[in-house]
Amino acid sequence: MTYVAIPATRNRRHEFFATLLRSGSFLAGVPIVVFWVFCSVFGPHIVPYDPLAEDVLNALGPPSSVHWFGTDQLGRDIFSRVLVGSRDILIVAPLATIMATAVGTVLGLITGYFRGILDDVISRLIEATMAIPGVIVSLLAIVALGTSEGTVIIVIGLSFGPVIGRTVRSAVLAERELDYVAAATLRRENSTHIMFIEILPNILPPILVESTVRLGYAIFAVAALSFLGFGLQPPSPDWALSVSANYSMISGGFWWTVLFDAVAIASLVVGVNLTADGLHGALDD
Amino acid sequence: MSSFLARRFAYSLVTLFVLTLLVFFLGQVLPGNVGRAILGPFADQKAVEVLNHQLGVDRPLLVQYGAWIGRFLQGDMGQSYIYRAPVADFVIPALGHSLKLAAVAFLVVVPLGIAGGVVAALNINRPTDRIISLGGLSAAAIPEFVSGIVMVLIFGVWLRWLPISAAWPDGAGALTQLYYLILPAMPLVFVLFGYIARMTRAGMIEALDSDYTRTAVLKGLPWRQVIWRHVLRNALLPTITVVASQTGYLIGGLLVVETLFRYQGLGSLIYNAAKGKDFPMLEASVLIIGLTYAVATLIADLLYSWLNPRIRMDGGQ
Amino acid sequence: MTRNANLLDDLRFSLTPVENHLIDGYADGRVNRRDFLRHGSLLGLSLPFLGQVALAAGFGAAPSVAQANVQPGATIRVAGPAPEGAIDPVLSGNYGAILMFQQVGEFLCVDGPDLLLKPSLATSWKPNQDGTVWTFTLRKGVKFHSGGEMKADDVVATMDRLADPKNSSNALSVFKGILQKGGIRKVDDYTVEFHLDGPNGNFPYLVSSDNYNTIILPASYSGDFETTWDGTGSFRIEKFARNVGASFVRNDDYWGPKALPAKTEFTFFQDIQPQILALQAGQVDIINTLPALAGVALLSDPSFDIISIKSTANQAVHMHCQTGPFQDARVRQAVALSLDREKLVKGLMKGRAVAGNDSPFASIYPSTDPSVPQRKQDIQKAKELLKAAGFEKGLQATLTAPQALEIPAFAQLIQSWVKEIGLDLKLNIMDRGAFFGDAVPGKSPWLDAEMGIADWGHRGVPNVFLTALLTSTGPWNAAKFQNKEYDTLAKSYIASFDLDTQRENAGKIQRLLLQETPMLFSYFFDHLTAVKKGVVGVQPTAMGQLFLHGAGIS
Repeated sequence: MTYVAIPATRNRRHEFFATLLRSGSFLAGVPIVVFWVFCSVFGPHIVPYDPLAEDVLNALGPPSSVHWFGTDQLGRDIFSRVLVGSRDILIVAPLATIMATAVGTVLGLITGYFRGILDDVISRLIEATMAIPGVIVSLLAIVALGTSEGTVIIVIGLSFGPVIGRTVRSAVLAERELDYVAAATLRRENSTHIMFIEILPNILPPILVESTVRLGYAIFAVAALSFLGFGLQPPSPDWALSVSANYSMISGGFWWTVLFDAVAIASLVVGVNLTADGLHGALDD
Repeated sequence: MSSFLARRFAYSLVTLFVLTLLVFFLGQVLPGNVGRAILGPFADQKAVEVLNHQLGVDRPLLVQYGAWIGRFLQGDMGQSYIYRAPVADFVIPALGHSLKLAAVAFLVVVPLGIAGGVVAALNINRPTDRIISLGGLSAAAIPEFVSGIVMVLIFGVWLRWLPISAAWPDGAGALTQLYYLILPAMPLVFVLFGYIARMTRAGMIEALDSDYTRTAVLKGLPWRQVIWRHVLRNALLPTITVVASQTGYLIGGLLVVETLFRYQGLGSLIYNAAKGKDFPMLEASVLIIGLTYAVATLIADLLYSWLNPRIRMDGGQ
Repeated sequence: MTRNANLLDDLRFSLTPVENHLIDGYADGRVNRRDFLRHGSLLGLSLPFLGQVALAAGFGAAPSVAQANVQPGATIRVAGPAPEGAIDPVLSGNYGAILMFQQVGEFLCVDGPDLLLKPSLATSWKPNQDGTVWTFTLRKGVKFHSGGEMKADDVVATMDRLADPKNSSNALSVFKGILQKGGIRKVDDYTVEFHLDGPNGNFPYLVSSDNYNTIILPASYSGDFETTWDGTGSFRIEKFARNVGASFVRNDDYWGPKALPAKTEFTFFQDIQPQILALQAGQVDIINTLPALAGVALLSDPSFDIISIKSTANQAVHMHCQTGPFQDARVRQAVALSLDREKLVKGLMKGRAVAGNDSPFASIYPSTDPSVPQRKQDIQKAKELLKAAGFEKGLQATLTAPQALEIPAFAQLIQSWVKEIGLDLKLNIMDRGAFFGDAVPGKSPWLDAEMGIADWGHRGVPNVFLTALLTSTGPWNAAKFQNKEYDTLAKSYIASFDLDTQRENAGKIQRLLLQETPMLFSYFFDHLTAVKKGVVGVQPTAMGQLFLHGAGIS
């Protein structure tokens, strides 16, 4: 996908927000995201039970008036856990995305601006890593580095970076042919200055859209890693971790131990994607 | 055209070579060693050392890599450390399995996704569009492990319509194999449907909005013909790229689905090879994925140029 | 029970002093009937001698008692773990491979339920006076599937192969310091002597099904098990498909009564969830190993029977005794006192376990001293101990554990309990392979962690737990427990082989370990096998083996 760069003038900015607020997907997505952010901040104060308090003798209770979403295999209240379960993923996924964006922007600027040998080398490396499925790469990296939130952030950041790099690269390729870059070159500005001061501000919109889209995938990726046992650590009430710990229970009829967490993951990813969709639409106009 | 192909080919070779290096040297940071992986944590250290020596994994890294790639270039994938059998006996069937599963998923999801995208674009911003777009988005957001389990419960355990494992009986025909692959393909259909529909929809909207469509309509061509000949063709472009870019995932990234349905694909092969530090196996299976990925992107590029004559193949960008 | 003193005296006439001592203990009530049987079987007293026990379908040996209503000729379908790599009785130590080679192979003796050793390829065994030489008499007329008769040469070759450091044998860690290559000697074609490095009162367990690598292979075995599948068992290989499954058919040349099923089919799985689904969907009849927590739904499902075998498998917690907060025994005791073992047994293990008392001496070992009081949760005392150790304001630590079975849930329960006494425990749950790492200090989170959990399989005798885990030089001593008194006690326990002395040493070890608490043995869990209703005569072992020769559909 290629983006046409938009000069960020005041007028355009006004128009952008007007479009954004008319966008159905944006208006549908933002409340979902805001809801989960709210829960992650204030959740611990509003939940009916301590999400970490075990009651293992009453494990796997079905949904009831006492425990609305039932209890898990350690007898913990699932409703309380789902409400606060967004906390870790909402820290890890955005940090990973920020890291991916930073890596991708630098990679894209360098490959797009310099082209030539450097571009070739980096592009081959990027292609090589993209050929291996992300889940596998991340898994191996985490096995090697040890499971921790920091590792997850770094691994997802590094594996998403090249993807963002591609988008940035194509935007830079279009941009570097424009007059203002030629002018800067004539002024004998150094390459770093041209890349980061001249070009970067003009390609922010596609970077923003790409990052929001990646945020959705980052949430999915963190969830997948947690499911495979390589993401967040217990006793975090993280949704994917709960699904992972309980999924062997569904065949026994304990559907409530995974259903609500699964729906929560889905709702957050949908919310983020809707928001990204709205942003994309507004920026493309 | 041929120079383009030659260059693409050379690029792919370089990429694959880089891949072998990456896998080999990055793989070294994985904890554990082959002997330990084979004998388990409670075997005597002496036994582990003897085994590592027998397998030759106590030699310097460069020597090991050189020996491996030397044989590989002569067409010998080598012996699996863990299984003590030729790697080809594992990788080729696993690739076959992965391709079959991907093919079944594609057969279902590509027509479905494109149709969904077209319908959505033609009904832009109406309820139909909203339902398809939002539905696709939501389906894609459900991790495979969740949708897979729910499908198994409904169709395998409660209704008993479909087999819950993808392992078909020996000597099963193509139709039987297809029958066994329906359930495992479902999570992939979920994940990809929204993606493809979304791309098609966006491409359609762009194409519908374009000058050539307007010209075609002004020329008085029937609407149906405009859609088929002009709009759909252009709308398919991004879809093809998307599908091609997902090949790696579809061939080798289905660890979760393969585990759940007991399917011997490349995903679990790679995962187990990496855990056991079985390098000949790991290298061969990653290379196979890299190769498939390279071929798929090449085909996508060719299709792209065939569908869109405006793009010259010599330009790169 | 009325006793016939004359009969007992008649029986004693041909016995060794140790055996007589055991019978004396039984006669005067110091040894109960169960322990008498178990210990007697170890000493090679034949089961009929030990009291005409009516056994269920025979174990390792042929089905001695046919099940009522069992139709021969059935096909039994089993879900089991996939073998990890090439199957080789010398090298393999994973459950998938163990299950496979046990289908065609047989052991000298078999560790059945209740820890009773039963004869299989050996008909009897006997120690010398001090327990340094054990003599095994082999069964006559046993044939390998390839045709030759199994004789002393095959047994000597099999054991030599396993004890030889040059063969990277998986059993080397078991035989180390006990039996060396060359220590196995043929007396005649049907008699083999094991000359041990030192006295060992529990040796027969090391050549039983407990030491799963010891199936008797032909002397000519050359490492190609996956092509030959040559054993002496009541089933022979029909077909083996790597990563997919295997099938076996009845061996009509078997030395004992022939197997009842015409065929057995094993399907390999990577995970428990698909196994449960396959059982529910009727695609398999048996899940060989069912974890209590993940399989809780099946435990109360009327369509399935659960075979529950008492075992000494456990998930022991170790604390680093040399550095960090746990070098103070009071801190370790405080952690032990914060655990609610009743909840662990009932809640976590669904009642399919027995509480442990922080020593390897599970209550099912005959030598365990039952008079040592069971440790129970006592938060108040735990707090006092921490205060005395100078941690009044609390402390922090990290618990490292593998992602396996109930361990993550267990770790979370520990975490929430020690929080009450002021210990802020961080969890680090990792892939099982990564956790064990290279399994040498410095390259293994398992051996390097300040606190960790490892999963231990069943052992018919506590010897390996006592030595490898807890002696100063033990290779798996992750707690870094260094205690001279303990080392001496462990050594004398292993050397002793009359039950009274064993129990006396056990009691001392149990009390010492309660005091020092280098490790927490909180529970010993049962080995569970789920079987479809109507399928009978299935004989699992706590080691993960499965004997199907008496199985059928009623």
